Amino acid sequence: MEWLIFGFLSFWAVLSVMGVLFFRNPVHAILSFLSLILAVAGMFMHLGAELLAGLQLVIYAVAIVVFYVLVITTIPWEKVKRFEGFYKREFFAGFPILIFTFLLISYAILKGEFASLNVATGDNVRDVGKSLFTTYLFPFEVASVILLTAMIGAILLGRKEE
Amino acid sequence: MTIEKAYLLISIFLFLSGLLGVIIRKNLITLLVSTELMLNGVNLALASIDSILGGVEGQVLALFVLTVAASEVAVGLGLVVALFRLKGYEGSSEITHLRG
Repeated sequence: MEWLIFGFLSFWAVLSVMGVLFFRNPVHAILSFLSLILAVAGMFMHLGAELLAGLQLVIYAVAIVVFYVLVITTIPWEKVKRFEGFYKREFFAGFPILIFTFLLISYAILKGEFASLNVATGDNVRDVGKSLFTTYLFPFEVASVILLTAMIGAILLGRKEE
Repeated sequence: MTIEKAYLLISIFLFLSGLLGVIIRKNLITLLVSTELMLNGVNLALASIDSILGGVEGQVLALFVLTVAASEVAVGLGLVVALFRLKGYEGSSEITHLRG
C-alpha cells in the first residue's frame, strides 16, 4: 500500500516536472508547477510532516503561484513570444552530466547507512511548534527581518521611475 | 530500499531537474519557476531525512526554506518586471551587461 501511494505520487511529480521543463507557454509551465506542488504536499503528508504539507499548500499553491500569474499578466504577451521554449544545445550538453550526477548521488544513497535517533514522536504539529518556539526562536525572529527586507526591496524595485 | 530512500531519490531528481531548467529555459519567469523546483527538492529531502531520523529539526529548517522562497519570489519577480519596463528584456540571453 505504501509503495502504491509512493508510485502514484512520484509518477505525478515526474510528469509535472516534465511539464515545467518543456512547456513552451509560461502559463502552462506555472500550472504544471502548481500540480507539482500538490504532489509534493501529498509526499509530505505521506512522510508524516503534516504542518509542512499545509504550509506548502498555503504558501506555494496560493501565494507564490498567484503572484507568478499576476506578474505574467502585466507583461505584454507578444514580447514574451520571442523567448519561449528552451536552448537545445545547452540541453544536450547539460543532460548527460546531470544524469551522471543523479546516478552518483543515488548510488551513495542506496549504499549508505543512515543513523537513527528513534525519538518517540506523537503529534507532528505540536512537536514542530515546540521546537520552533524554544530551540529555534532566534532564527524564527530573523526570518521576519528577511521577509521585511524582501518586502522593502520589492517595493523599491517595482515603483515607477519619476 | 525503504520508502524514505525512495523519497530521497525523488528529491534528488527534483533538484537536478530544477538545475537543468535554470540552464536551458529561455524565459526569465520560467527560470525563476525552476529555482522553485530546486527549493522543493531540498524541502522533500529534509522531510524524508526527518522521517528516517525521527526528529523534527529538518521540518523546522524546511519552514525557513519556505520563508526564503517567498522573499526570493518577491525580489526576483520585482527584478524581472523592472528589467522589462526599463529595457524591454524578457530572455535570459539578453542580459549581458551589468550596468548601462
